[in-house]
Amino acid sequence: MLNETQLWAIFNGTVVTIEIAIVAIIFGAIFGVLVALGRISKNKLANGLSWFYIWFFRGTPLLLQLFIIYYAIPIIYLDATGMTFEINPMICAFVAFSLNSTAYLAEIIRAAIESIDGGQMEAAKALGMSYRQAMTKIVIPQTYKRLVAPVGNEFILLLKDTSLVSTIALFDLLRTVKTMASADGNWIYYVYAAAIYLFLTTIIQVVFDKMEVKLGVYER
Amino acid sequence: MSMVKLVNVHKSFGNLEVLKGVNLEIQSGEVVCIIGASGSGKSTMLRCLNHLERITDGEIYIEGELTDKRENNKDLMKIDPAKVQILCTELGMVFQNFNLFPHLSVIDNVTIAPIIVKKAKKEEIEKVALDLLKEVGLSEKKDEYPSRLSGGQQQRVAIARALAMNPKIMMFDEPTSALDPELVGEVLATMRHLAEKGMTMIIVTHEIGFAREVADRVIFMDQGVICEQGTPEEVILHPQEERTKSFLNKIL
Repeated sequence: MLNETQLWAIFNGTVVTIEIAIVAIIFGAIFGVLVALGRISKNKLANGLSWFYIWFFRGTPLLLQLFIIYYAIPIIYLDATGMTFEINPMICAFVAFSLNSTAYLAEIIRAAIESIDGGQMEAAKALGMSYRQAMTKIVIPQTYKRLVAPVGNEFILLLKDTSLVSTIALFDLLRTVKTMASADGNWIYYVYAAAIYLFLTTIIQVVFDKMEVKLGVYER
Repeated sequence: MSMVKLVNVHKSFGNLEVLKGVNLEIQSGEVVCIIGASGSGKSTMLRCLNHLERITDGEIYIEGELTDKRENNKDLMKIDPAKVQILCTELGMVFQNFNLFPHLSVIDNVTIAPIIVKKAKKEEIEKVALDLLKEVGLSEKKDEYPSRLSGGQQQRVAIARALAMNPKIMMFDEPTSALDPELVGEVLATMRHLAEKGMTMIIVTHEIGFAREVADRVIFMDQGVICEQGTPEEVILHPQEERTKSFLNKIL
């Protein structure tokens, strides 16, 4: 069985995992909306920037993005200014995971917006609403229900991908149990980790299923 | 008073010219029914009036005021989006597919535009909305979502929703074409009621019987131009143009 120190270590590792996933899904959702609006915008600059953003962050490994932020930026900073700075790995993880999930969520949100019947925007405009009013009051609220399933998916992926942060000196759940397993040669720690991951993803799955039903009340 | 005036209006989608020089003036209180085959440009003409489509050439006046003037797809006047927004509120529009907002209850469908566009007070506009729903016979459905209504009921809510903005002109784009036959009557009755109250109406329709009964003027459009117009008697019963005759023969 686990002693108290191990128990706390696993608890702290789990907290790191959860924190990164939650921060990434929240910032990803907020910035994802902006990038998605950029992608559907007729403004060439907004459209191009959004396209480039998604192209880069979806097209390169998350691990590479993590390395760039944690290892490359301090070196670039040193070369440019001649000064070093203390980089906080947790902040790096928040930034990298948020930037990455923004790209994926932007595409999910864009697809959801484009799936809303064009007649909705026309009806809103015919009633005198501006593009912005029509988007925020009519079109985007109708995407919520359609967003739940793919966003839940993304959330679960993020939660599991947090294990990548072990490469930048963070002790997440997986790294914690791996350290324990190699210290006393016991594989049972991996079972604990699997159980915790499954517990967390089950919560996400159940909550998102409930949300989907609730947000779809207006559908027959 | 002239409510709507189109001067030599052209509209092309790419190489396809849908409107080929339409001239039309509609007076206050007039009920005008536009008939014609699909693709003749009827719906496009309505959509150009409230800027859902932009004309390629010509001029549009709403209540005597120039609202769009273009040549070769270029603006000849400065278009102020805020002004277009106000203009749209003068023109109520009812769509073939209703386009109710599915995430809002019936009453919220009716009140949302006045609240966010006209900054109307919620309690006040809800009273107005209830009266309008009563007028279209749906006040007891006010808390339902549109998905729980029949097509005919949805279309009547859509009419109430357009009326809530207090428009001076109501435009109907084939309002009964998506309805089951047994539901057509209730929508036509609502429109007839509106016509009797003196509303200026432009109705694109395939309901020839209704046009005959309600319209002050019937316009037959064909291949992007107004081919023939006059009283229902003249156009529907005694058409002069060959194209009108052949169209009416096909659908009657």
